[in-house]
Formats: sequence, C-alpha cells, structure tokens
Amino acid sequence: MAVVIAVEGVTKRFRVRSNRPRTLRESASQWLSGRLGDIDTVTALEDVSFTVERGESLGIVGHNGAGKSTLLRLLCGVGLPTMGRINRSGHVSGLLELGGAFHLDLSGRDNVVTAGVLSGLTEREARARVGAVAAFAELDDVIDHPVRTYSSGMYLRLAFSVALQFEPEILVIDEVLAVGDSRFQEKCLEHVRRLRAAGSTLVVASHIPEQIKSLCDEVLVLEDGRVAARDEPERALEHYFELMNARTARRAKAIGGQATTSEPSEGTRSGTQEVTVDAVRVTAGDGRERAVRGGEAVTIELDYRFAQPLPDFGLSLGVYSAAHVKCWEVMLPSAVARFGPLGDHGTIRCTMPGLPLLPGRYYVNVGVYPPDCDFVYDYHWQMHPLTVVSVTEGVAGVSGVVALEPAWSLTAAAQAGRRTGDG
Amino acid sequence: MTGALALHRAEVVRHLVRRDFRLRYHDSTLGLAWSLLLPLTQLAVLVFLFQRVVPLGIDGYPAFVFSALLPWTWFSACLAGAGTLFLGNRDLVRRPDFDPFVIVVVSTLSNLLGYLVGVPILLAVCAAYGAALTPALLALPGLLLIEGALILGLSLVVATLNVFYRDVQHIVGVALTLLFYLTPVFYRGAEAGERAQILFTLSPIAVLVQAHRAIVFRGELPGAGALAVASLTSLLVCGFGYALYRRQRHDIVDAI
Repeated sequence: MAVVIAVEGVTKRFRVRSNRPRTLRESASQWLSGRLGDIDTVTALEDVSFTVERGESLGIVGHNGAGKSTLLRLLCGVGLPTMGRINRSGHVSGLLELGGAFHLDLSGRDNVVTAGVLSGLTEREARARVGAVAAFAELDDVIDHPVRTYSSGMYLRLAFSVALQFEPEILVIDEVLAVGDSRFQEKCLEHVRRLRAAGSTLVVASHIPEQIKSLCDEVLVLEDGRVAARDEPERALEHYFELMNARTARRAKAIGGQATTSEPSEGTRSGTQEVTVDAVRVTAGDGRERAVRGGEAVTIELDYRFAQPLPDFGLSLGVYSAAHVKCWEVMLPSAVARFGPLGDHGTIRCTMPGLPLLPGRYYVNVGVYPPDCDFVYDYHWQMHPLTVVSVTEGVAGVSGVVALEPAWSLTAAAQAGRRTGDG
Repeated sequence: MTGALALHRAEVVRHLVRRDFRLRYHDSTLGLAWSLLLPLTQLAVLVFLFQRVVPLGIDGYPAFVFSALLPWTWFSACLAGAGTLFLGNRDLVRRPDFDPFVIVVVSTLSNLLGYLVGVPILLAVCAAYGAALTPALLALPGLLLIEGALILGLSLVVATLNVFYRDVQHIVGVALTLLFYLTPVFYRGAEAGERAQILFTLSPIAVLVQAHRAIVFRGELPGAGALAVASLTSLLVCGFGYALYRRQRHDIVDAI
C-alpha cells in the first residue's frame, strides 16, 4: 500500500505574546526599550508521527485543545509545522473550521466555481459541476444568492457539498459532521463511504464515537498534543474514554469535589458533579413508574441541577440491556440549543411513543457533560432500571432486544429432482 | 506535467481576476466604467485648477495630465487595496495548498485591466491635442512590466505587514496622498528646480509616469539613464517584497 500522508516528528508551537504589539508604535517602543514582549509559546502538537496509506480511513479523537484541529490544518498544508515534516501526495480537500470557507459577498455559485478551479478544474468544468453541488446541498433555488444571506445550516451544507463533490484524493474533515440536521448528515456520511469505496483516503476528527466507528479503520488518540494511542476503533475509543475519566477525576479533585465515583445501590455514578442529575424517572403511558409493556409509550424524566453557575451542558440518554448491550442512545451537544434557557435546575422529559423492545430488564443511562465533552459532569450507568414485560404471553423462541413483528410466508420451488428426472 | 501545472496556474489567476471584478462591481450598473470614473473626474478637476485657476501654461494640458495620471492610478489603486488583500480573502488564504502570493498577483492584474480600459481614451485625448502615435508606443509593454514589478513588490510588503500591524494600511493611505503631489503627474518635473530632480530620479514611480508621458504624449523614448535606475529599484523592491512574504508566509496563515 502506498503511503499518502507521512507525518514525521511534527511539533507545532504558536507564539502568543502576552503583550503582543498590536500597532507599530507599541512594537517600536518595545524594540527601543529592548524587550520584545514576553513571548509565550503554546505547544499545540508535540512530536507527532504517523502515516496514512492510500484508501485508509483514520479517525482522530481527543479532548478540546488536544491538537486535533491544528493537526488537520497542517495535513491540509495550511501553515507549517514548527519542527518535523509532513509529506503528502495527492490532492487534498479539507473541511476545516466552518467560518471562512466562502466569500460572503459572492453568490453560492461563484464560491463553488472558485473552489472547483482551486481544486484543479478549469473554470468551464467547475461551472458545469455547480448544478450537482447545489443539488447535493439542496440549495438549487438560492445558489445565485450571496452566501451572506445563507443560514448557518445552508452554509454548512454548501461547504460539505463542495468538499465532497470535487473528488478529493484525500478528504480531511474536522468535527463538522456534528452539526446540521441528521438527515443531511446521513447523506454526507453515505457519500463519504462511497468516496472511500472509490479509493479516497479519509482523515476525520469527531467527538461522536459512533461516527468514528462507522467511518474509520483506525483511530489516533491525541492527548495534550501527543499521540496517546493508535489502534482499531473499539480499543482506541476505550483508551480515549479512560483518558476522559482520568481527566474527570483530576478535575473533580482540582475543584475540591468529593469522591467522583460513587456506588449507588445499583450501577455506578461518576463525574465532577458541577451539574448533577438528581433523579431519573421512567414512567409508562399512564404516568406511573412501573414495568412497561412492549410497544407501550414511555416517558423518561430527569431532574438536573447546576451546582456551579455554568451556561450549558451536553446530554446523553441511552437504553442499555442488562448485559450492557446498547439498544439506543442519543447525544445532544447543547441543551441550550435544544431547549432554550435552562434555569438553575429543571426537568428534561423525553417521551417515546412506543418502546419496541423485547421483554427483559433494561437500564436508562444518562449523562451530562460540558459542551465539548472533555470530561463528565455526572454519568449514571445502569442505575435506573426499565423492565419491559410481554403483552402476549409466551411467544416462544424469540430472543434479542428489538421487538420486530415479522410476517411469515413461504414460496416453495418445485422439487429439483422431479423436474430434471424426465430429461 | 509542469506544463499542465502552469496552465492550471494561469486558469486560477484568470478566474480570480474575474472574481475580483465581480466583487468590486457587483450590483453596480456602471461596472468597469467605475475604474475610469476616478481618473476622469480627477482629470477634470486638475484641468480646471491648472488651466483656469492657476494656469501652468502647459500646451495640451489635459493630454499632458492624463498620460501620467493613468499609470499613476494603476499604482495607487493597487497599493490602496493592498492592505486588505490577505485579510479580506480569508477563504482563499486558508484553502489547502493555496499560495496567497497569487492574490497579490491577481490584484495587480485586475487593476491593470482598469488601466487598459483607459488606454483608448488616453490615445483619443492625446490625438485631440495633436499628439501623434509613434513607434515609441512599442516600448509601453516594457514600461508596464517594470511598473508591475514595482507594484507587486510594494503590495507584497503592505499586504504582509498589515496582517500583523493594522496601522500599515492607514499609513499607506496617507503616503499615497502625499506621494501624488510629490510625483510629477499634473506638473512638469523639470520646473521644480535642480535639487528636486534627485527626488524625481530616485522615486521609481516618478520616473515611470514621466516615461509614460514621454511615450504617449510626446511620442518619444524616455531617457534611458533614469529608467535604468527605476527598473533596478523596481526589481529590488519586488525581490525584497517577495522575500519578506516568503519569510512570513506561514505566520500569515496562522494569524488570519
């Protein structure tokens, strides 16, 4: 396999002058007085080395500030490493930070053409592709309006379309899959998979473990600018979560909290407790806390409380089987974005019109996180049972977690022996 | 392979020049005519001032002024906009594998188009005041090349420094206003006396606009000595600007 990206001992430092001269006058007076400002360097990446082979798909996970974005920018050739080298062969298309991908005063069409020309097409070829890009972005009717007038969702769709439609040999995506509506997200993921199948190389940073698992062959874990691990996704993510727990413990200690991992009567609870989930209630269709019947409506209520004045939190809510099989889980990166102002405590309600689970014992697992998911405020693991009972007694021979309602039929073929018998 | 690459470079520049035009003149009915309107109104005011109010007694004064004003406008329009070249094109600067140097080339070329649109008008004005078209005009492309190098070098310096020090664009604005009066655009350089001649010889833009006037208005080849100095200075400025830009290139990307 040919190596398309080779990163060798890359270190990136940014100069952050604490009293950086903003004007010539300040600069001159600092220079004259012989002290050139206190130059603080921030090390974003430290001695990072890895290779990516053609057609491979590498995921990058790491806490906020671990250096993911810096690394992806360098991979795209935006900026130079302070030390080390990056060798790359092949045309790269990058979806880096969302801002600044387009010129706001130009129409969507003009921006698409510019992107096309810069990725190696002639202007004529690029113009011919605008239709396909606009269609993919679902922006056909506004493609001639200035990008300034687009909503952030439209902007994002266009950015994605552009990055995906000009057949990059190497596609670098930073985090942005987390934004946008889920239907468009799925469409993009589908397209990314197609590009992969066609031999494109993919490097993607994401906070969402499911995305990483579904897209990547291998995952690189970054911790404080260094490579902490490179492994197949399952094990790499495990490592990442261990680092996240360690960070949670360190933080809880730093803010003077008590023991972070407690042992409730059932399951485990962990987190810094800056935001707490005080109670979780699982109620059936009639509003009572009792065992639910398969297919019945269920409401999950959770009471949250801000122990510290914080602006927002991310929320995860999942249903797991007693054997730790994840049946379903949802992650909301921002409760404020989803629900509006949160107050200092409140109740979040999640109603499911029908629970298509087979009879058995399940658990509702909830977690609250800072919006960047760097550590955990409060996580309840297998603490809140949800018992599903059967409506119809004794459906024999069924196992698993999902209640499917199969309809059976049979189309029998004529017996082979009889037909060929007379030949 | 390198041929295809060069061809694509040209395509990128061509596209970006067109994009620059669209950005500048979108939603305006007059479009490209705007790039002529400034020098033409300037011409009208100067003619009014120095033919009527304070007569300078120069024959064919409108042609005299315009033949120097047009190359000056190319120069000053480029530099006035140079400060925001990198800051205002964030989408290009941060594109993978894009060399922001191209933006400066594009700005120089796109303003050159404004100049080229003015050339027929200039020739008409000159003809109206009795100037003849002579073979000296063949030297014009060479002159433009030298001026282009000067503009490119200075624009690179301004665009690069302005990323780190926002004062630069304001300084450039003031400097351009002053330089306009210190450049023999609307007066004869020779009338300033012996001492000032050094200024007009050392300032490459002064040499270039006077050479432009010599070719178009008087129909003669400009003096080789001053032009040689101006060419050398322009090339040095260009080299310096490029070296400065190269050194700062990656810091520019980080800072934007």
